Amino acid sequence: MEFIAGLANGFMELFKAGAATFAAWVAGIIPLIVVLMTAVSAVIKLIGEERVHALAKQATKNIITRYTILPILAVLFLGNPMCYSFGRFVEPKHKPSFYDATVSFLHPVTGLFPHANGGELFVYMGIAAGITTLGLPLGELAVRYFLVGIVVIFIRGVVTEKIYASMKAKEEK
Amino acid sequence: MYKSITISKGSGGWGGPLTIMPTANCNKIVSVTGGGIHPVAIKIAEMTGCEAIDGFTTAIPDDQILVAVVDCGGTARCGVYPKKNIFTVNLTPVGKVGPLAQFISENLYVSAVNESCLTYAPEGTPLTSKDGSNVGAAQIATNKSSEPKTKAQARAELAKMNAGKEKNFITKLGIGVGGVVNKFYQAGRETIDMVVKTILPFMAFVSMIIGIISASGIGDIIAHTISPLASTLPGMLVISVVCSLPFISPVIGPGAVIAQVVGTLLGVEIGLGHIPAQYALPALFAINAQVGGDFVPVGLSLGEADPETIELGVPAVLYSRVITGPLSVIIAYIFSFGMYM
Repeated sequence: MEFIAGLANGFMELFKAGAATFAAWVAGIIPLIVVLMTAVSAVIKLIGEERVHALAKQATKNIITRYTILPILAVLFLGNPMCYSFGRFVEPKHKPSFYDATVSFLHPVTGLFPHANGGELFVYMGIAAGITTLGLPLGELAVRYFLVGIVVIFIRGVVTEKIYASMKAKEEK
Repeated sequence: MYKSITISKGSGGWGGPLTIMPTANCNKIVSVTGGGIHPVAIKIAEMTGCEAIDGFTTAIPDDQILVAVVDCGGTARCGVYPKKNIFTVNLTPVGKVGPLAQFISENLYVSAVNESCLTYAPEGTPLTSKDGSNVGAAQIATNKSSEPKTKAQARAELAKMNAGKEKNFITKLGIGVGGVVNKFYQAGRETIDMVVKTILPFMAFVSMIIGIISASGIGDIIAHTISPLASTLPGMLVISVVCSLPFISPVIGPGAVIAQVVGTLLGVEIGLGHIPAQYALPALFAINAQVGGDFVPVGLSLGEADPETIELGVPAVLYSRVITGPLSVIIAYIFSFGMYM
């Protein structure tokens, strides 16, 4: 009998650690996320998607803005997965590289603007939870993640554009 | 010779049953599952007499797709095809969820499907029409034609009533504030929806895994294998190279589930002090070199790319990752200097 009781206790122990984690997340992460997401998505709604269309079209012309400003606007204003629809503003030969830049920004954005990709927060949140455990402020990581994200999506855009162009050229031969 | 079949939901599934019949023009079964054409897609194609196609290597115009077979965990893809009004078969037991949940309907979508869910439709069975949505669309269309009239009439009436007295400042302010408040309220509603439908379920699932890992001692094994790997630059480069390999990236992409679980595990190790805090930044890029590798064809079609662009675009993005994946880790590593010192 004692053995069975011990077994049951061991079984429950297995899940108590998980329960503690869950409680900590719900109490520690959800409230801030809810308020932050509500505020940012309200502001985004007030500005309206249409109002950034003109800016988005302008941003397609230049290689630098095409893989920085344009994906950032798309991700902030439309979020995952509708952000890719801004691909309609770019020329066909730039669509794959625009996609690459946009999708690569969907996680760096979550540190500061979680509303843009609420379903996949834990790539950042999971690692950020460790920083919080150490008692360090998250701001530095979130800002750097955002900035490095911009550099990375620009490079991805350019590299993918070149690779696509060379593949296209090879195919046409 | 085309045959009509009925696809029912599997255990724990949602939606359907869909009774479908190919036509001369609309006869492709597109498998958007990664790792080749899924057996369910092949079976559907065999039974109906359609052609099964790998959505990652070949792009098909939307109007030729009879059924899209996806394996979406509920983040995005399960809604993309219903939004395009294409019959969607999801292999995972996912219901009406995700950011495009409102487009997922019982006459467009069926989930938890396996091969035993497919049967030939007995003669005389009515085909599932996309009518639910069509009727909806028709209603919207009729509304569109009638609404402007009534709106115009209403406006004319209002104008008559207001003739002579212009809207004063207070009224204008009231209307403006009302609009703003409504938008804030809507934002709140969407946020709570997102929290309940995607964030909380994910927390439940990951905290269960974390709990078992830490209580059972597997955690120590992970601490001894992943931690050393993720606490050096070469180690993180290895992770990013593996994640970005063109035959791996589409498989580990869906829903970013793997990246999210690994991120959480690394977070635990950082919290325990096994991995230095400044490595958080490069680690974020190392574990996510595959981001969106599973979503290229869908994302491109949302950007209105034509099939040819999609066909070449998928490998272009995947090859590019092999270069930019490790590069992003190096950039993040450089940017992490001086953080949390």
